[in-house]
Amino acid sequence: MDPAETRHSLPSKGPGSLRFLLDRGAHSLFLACALVVVALIAGILVFLSMRGLAAFLPLASNTGRVLSLREVFLSADWAPSSDRFGILSFVAGSLSVTGLALLVAAPSGILTAVFVTLLAPGWMKALMRQVMDLLVGIPSVVYGIFGLTFLLPLVSSKWLHDSPASGFLVAASILTVMIVPTIVSLSMDAFEALPKTLDEGALALGSTRWQSIWRVLIPAARPRLMTAVVLGMGRAIGEAMAVQMVIGNNPAWLSLVREATDRAPLMRFLFTPAATLTTELVQELPNTPAGSPWNNVLFAMGLLLYLMTMGIILATRRLGQRGSA
Amino acid sequence: MSSPTLRRPEMRPRASARIVDRLMRGVLWAIALGFIVVLVIFVGAILRQGWPVLNWGFFTKMPETLDAGGGIKPELFNSIYLVGLSLAISLPTGIGAGIYLAEYAGQGRVLRFFRLCIETLAGTPSIVLALFGMIVFVQTLGWSFSIRAGAMTLALLNIPIITRVTEMSLRGVPQDLKEASYGLGATKLQTILKVLLPYSATGILTGVVLTAGRAFGESAILVFTAGTNVSSHFPDFRLTSPGETLAVHLWYITSDGTLPDAREIAAGTAAAMILVLLCLNLSVRLLDHGIRKRTR
Repeated sequence: MDPAETRHSLPSKGPGSLRFLLDRGAHSLFLACALVVVALIAGILVFLSMRGLAAFLPLASNTGRVLSLREVFLSADWAPSSDRFGILSFVAGSLSVTGLALLVAAPSGILTAVFVTLLAPGWMKALMRQVMDLLVGIPSVVYGIFGLTFLLPLVSSKWLHDSPASGFLVAASILTVMIVPTIVSLSMDAFEALPKTLDEGALALGSTRWQSIWRVLIPAARPRLMTAVVLGMGRAIGEAMAVQMVIGNNPAWLSLVREATDRAPLMRFLFTPAATLTTELVQELPNTPAGSPWNNVLFAMGLLLYLMTMGIILATRRLGQRGSA
Repeated sequence: MSSPTLRRPEMRPRASARIVDRLMRGVLWAIALGFIVVLVIFVGAILRQGWPVLNWGFFTKMPETLDAGGGIKPELFNSIYLVGLSLAISLPTGIGAGIYLAEYAGQGRVLRFFRLCIETLAGTPSIVLALFGMIVFVQTLGWSFSIRAGAMTLALLNIPIITRVTEMSLRGVPQDLKEASYGLGATKLQTILKVLLPYSATGILTGVVLTAGRAFGESAILVFTAGTNVSSHFPDFRLTSPGETLAVHLWYITSDGTLPDAREIAAGTAAAMILVLLCLNLSVRLLDHGIRKRTR
């Protein structure tokens, strides 16, 4: 296979000598390191399943009653103290905040990538790379504190007559900035991987720069651009601390949005204190006794997040195959 | 005297298309400049809020739980200690796995499978890693909220990044260098240790610095594994003591709310973290610059 395989086995001191033994040992050692990763993937699945699925199984370690899948995954009624464990509003919260963030992050991220790869002069390219590197390097708690001490008061005093601004809008705007670097850097890879002849051909046929970008380059890069957006989505769904600090942490947000009548529906949706899968975990996990249905359901939410991650990675694989086919 | 075919109207963009082109160029510039403005406002606001708090006492005093005027000394220590420990665990594993992927896994199914696993681990939200660490290290092994539980779980965050960086750096080594080494009769291991790793060391180091930055800023994992308390001794190197880091401290004091000066402490902590990360970023720049210079 590898030409190096045959070449390095040419004996200079005989295959039994120490360095050849070491060579073989090293192979196993490196393989073991790689297998650690595989073991971790499987281990996370096993341990989260053990705790997450415990809620639905009649196990001896359970301290409460056995829950049905339906009352957990198809109900938005979360009242652990009165034995009701519907997590649908957290799923809806996660999807809402992610969707809102993508609404801005996907187009602006892709267009920034277009700009950096095709239009920007050299100094601007370097500057934008630096900016994206810094944005991706800022810790999520620092994003959170910025939202908490700067964005929330600003929005509240400017738009809301000083009523609290926590909720999806501020959470999503912070998430947008957090996931844009991911989308930009992967989209830049997508544009850089396109053959130069595509762009040159379009320009030679008399299209403007923008026409070439919009009608030729973006469609040609579409599968990889979608991969970029999907991975950005993965980051947004999994983000915990920054969102937890600004979203308001109200498990009953769905009913509040439905019932409140003092504001327009969109305003209510954007500014009602809400909760997501990750924020509920951060908020409630430390206070729940192990083995209780409450605790088990929280682990089930973690399992759900993990399965979503796996789904997202597999989806990008599919997109990638379509791109290369 | 151009030929008539070049005058055909469709060879030149229509006026409307040219206007759209101008307009969109403007929009693209505006979006890009917008992100620069966002970054400047962001870093500016954090540093401006935190600057008045940053003084010698802030870095050298123990934190308070109920009174104003506490410092961040043990948190700063824990941050550095935990990042160091987690790197000590994840570097050998990550580099080993990276070597396997680049040099042993071939190009086929094995490589694709391992890559899929590494991407999955890299994409796993840190809160999920936190849950895993909490079940395995804190509860099953009975380590409670401790430095060792934090370091082990934090290593899970680092491993996929280091693996990827190592693999990519090794793949960047020119083929002739490798072949020359084999041609001189070196074994694969000798080639890896004496040719490939030294050649790609700067690239790997860049990745390690980036990983350190990420681990430094990580909070979700450590809240559930290293805890939100610090040891009363200083410096406390014991692996069993609780290990609240700067990032966790920042989160905890803003959500807990018993400190009268939580706002100031949080602002100062955030500013200190930004300064550390700016330094790390600068060192990555310098390393990168070094690589370019050498390969030119």
